[in-house]
Amino acid sequence: MSGRWAAAAGPARWARLAAVAVLALAWAWAAHALWRSTVPTSLPAPRIDPSTLFGASYLRRSASYEEFLDIDQLLGQLTLLAVLAVYAIRGHRLMRESAAGRIGTGMLLGMLGFAIVWIAQIPFGLAAVWWERRHGVSHQGYIASVVEGFVGLGGRFVFICFALLVAMGLAGLLRRWWWIVAAPLFAGLALLSTYLSIYLVPNTQPLRDPQTRAELRTLASREGLHHIHAVVQNVSRFTTAPNAESVGFGATRRVILWNTLLDGRFDSHEVEVVIGHELGHLAHNHPLKRVGWLLLFLLPAAGIVAVFTRRRGGLGRPEAVPIALLVFVLLQFLASPLMNEVYRREEAEADWSALRATHDPSAARSLFVKLARTSLADPDPPTWSFLLYDDHPTIVQRIAMVDAWQQRAAQNG
Amino acid sequence: MSEHPIRLVVGDDLQRRRLTVFFRLLLAIPHYIWAALWTIVAFLAAVMNWLATLVLGRSPTFLHRFLAAYVKYVTQLSAYLYLIADAYPAFDGQAGYPIDVTIAPPSRQRRWRVLLRLPLALPAILIGETLFGNSWGFRRKQSLAPGSLLSIAAFLAWFACLIRGRMPRGLRDTGAYSLSYNAQLWAYLLLLTESYPDSDPLAALQDLPDEDAPIHLRGADDLRRSRLTVLFRLPLSVPHLIWLTLWGILALLAAILSWIVSLILGRSPSWLHRFLAAYVRYKISVYAYLYIVANPFPGFAGKAGGYPLDTVIAERRQQRRWTVLLRLLLALPALAIYSAYSSLNLLLAILGWCAALILGRIPGGLRNAGALALRYSAQTHGYLLLLTDAYPYSGPCESDRPV
Repeated sequence: MSGRWAAAAGPARWARLAAVAVLALAWAWAAHALWRSTVPTSLPAPRIDPSTLFGASYLRRSASYEEFLDIDQLLGQLTLLAVLAVYAIRGHRLMRESAAGRIGTGMLLGMLGFAIVWIAQIPFGLAAVWWERRHGVSHQGYIASVVEGFVGLGGRFVFICFALLVAMGLAGLLRRWWWIVAAPLFAGLALLSTYLSIYLVPNTQPLRDPQTRAELRTLASREGLHHIHAVVQNVSRFTTAPNAESVGFGATRRVILWNTLLDGRFDSHEVEVVIGHELGHLAHNHPLKRVGWLLLFLLPAAGIVAVFTRRRGGLGRPEAVPIALLVFVLLQFLASPLMNEVYRREEAEADWSALRATHDPSAARSLFVKLARTSLADPDPPTWSFLLYDDHPTIVQRIAMVDAWQQRAAQNG
Repeated sequence: MSEHPIRLVVGDDLQRRRLTVFFRLLLAIPHYIWAALWTIVAFLAAVMNWLATLVLGRSPTFLHRFLAAYVKYVTQLSAYLYLIADAYPAFDGQAGYPIDVTIAPPSRQRRWRVLLRLPLALPAILIGETLFGNSWGFRRKQSLAPGSLLSIAAFLAWFACLIRGRMPRGLRDTGAYSLSYNAQLWAYLLLLTESYPDSDPLAALQDLPDEDAPIHLRGADDLRRSRLTVLFRLPLSVPHLIWLTLWGILALLAAILSWIVSLILGRSPSWLHRFLAAYVRYKISVYAYLYIVANPFPGFAGKAGGYPLDTVIAERRQQRRWTVLLRLLLALPALAIYSAYSSLNLLLAILGWCAALILGRIPGGLRNAGALALRYSAQTHGYLLLLTDAYPYSGPCESDRPV
């Protein structure tokens, strides 16, 4: 056996193995670099009883609210995978609906895959809307939610067409090795999209409140950031939930505050903590780090897609597209607990930054309690849903971090 | 396929007397008054006919004869007003007018269809509004075109007839198609027949010309439509529409360059001709797909012969320089017709979408009307982009027939 292996293992195979080993090492080194965080590892983790922060009735209500949404989402994802599995087997029959050549037909199959998935997901989407409306978290209409989903398909189709154009074009040129070029190319496009993302966010206007703007400037200078602007996004047509985000890098770095955050339910100190948190993301280059993580995910994922599509002639052939969709979505699903862990780590780092910049643990504590209450979040969700869906630390964990910071600050005088 | 019981008979020789053309609207004044009176009586007769047909399952002969005469009269008067015919019409809708309607004798009708005649007629009313403009009140608010196809054709024909003393056949047949549909619509509404109005322009006129146009559509179609792709037709077309817009910007620049070169050399350079021809082919295939006129997803390159509804564009030829110089100005009448056809196509697409989603196929009439509108669009674009100096032909012709 070993003799046969040795005979087959020519210089080309050794070179390939060496290349894979180098790639794996580079991957591990990059992952390690991205994993680094400024949150001290030696933080004590005081145990907090959620019932001391929220009443028993709130805890029951939020647990039931999130449980329904989590199960709905899980069922939706399992349905999605089941639909894509059927599509992977039978989807190539739809090739007869195309006169668009190799890549155009692949694009059609890609779009139809997403179209079928959209149909299959309608009941779960409507159930979520119903549940959120019932709990007063959303006031989106049922028909509006379906129509908006349908209209949104156009944008998604453009994206999938572009992705398939690149991947299938490369597969036509490079055959089995398309993924080695495609993954960095997609990461490059993600980088471009991150840079331009502020221009893609709808319904925004500049932050006009002079006091909030002054707070933003002060906090930004404490975080070592300069020339950072904030915009307000009008979302109250869809939701009452408060939120904020940070986007871009370099000249396009922005903090986006939802107008639901500025509607009077949160005082200026709490808003300051939110701004500090978002500035923390920017100060630690989280938007860029996410592109790095995307590249680390895409490299093996695209390689696995390339392997699985070989049976249908490789991704250069349109009939391989349904399989590629299934494999890619499945990998995303499997990787989501890991990616959520990465995101939670970034969020924790942003929280820590906010505490260091604002020095206001009581505002942070009250903010987290209010955030939970306004979005009816379960402060201490079950482990499975936390691993699968939560890309932020739980409210209990966040408040525990505030306590830890306070203890540490007291110890340091 | 059985023949529609309401048929337009065209015996017009295209000759027009300039004097009567010039005063056409005024000469028809006695007819306006007579038509208004007849319409009041016809309305009452229609109500009676509805009740009688509901009870008997068939239109009574005397009411059928009276309402048939009314439809014939209105068609003849419209033909005169819109320059589709030249002779002054009689006041009783008698047979023998150059544009006449034959109406089959009364036959049995299903009572539920009689009961629901008005709601059932709604799609046909919308098409009739775009073709003829019955002033039902939809047009002014919803249409992009400045008027119905018939009114635009008549407006242009008025100038053409005054200059040439002759009606251009394309405009006459465009008007005749609109009149044919309108006659079938009124016959359907007045319960003269149970047959739904047929929007097929190839079935509206018996004698279609063999136009050897340098730009025409060629294609085969089994009318089958995939329900899945029909349901998502609009979002599926979004990538194409984006690509088309980007290509359109380049095509505009290429057209300007082609215009300058054609003015100097008398014809456009071969590479520009190829580029612009591919753009026109691509545009037509995208709209054929979007408007459900064709079934398969089109390619992105506008390749010749690459789509079942293919736009055939002849090789470049020498063009008269003065027509090149004044191309934009000369194209204005064609653009007016094009705008009316575009409105029609949009409406047909919505109706075709509903029909294809339910039936899994598109009715032949909707498909052929859509294909005619697209062929005219291809010819107008070809003319504007200097691919040919042949003027767009607005009427249906033999080459429009699917293979």
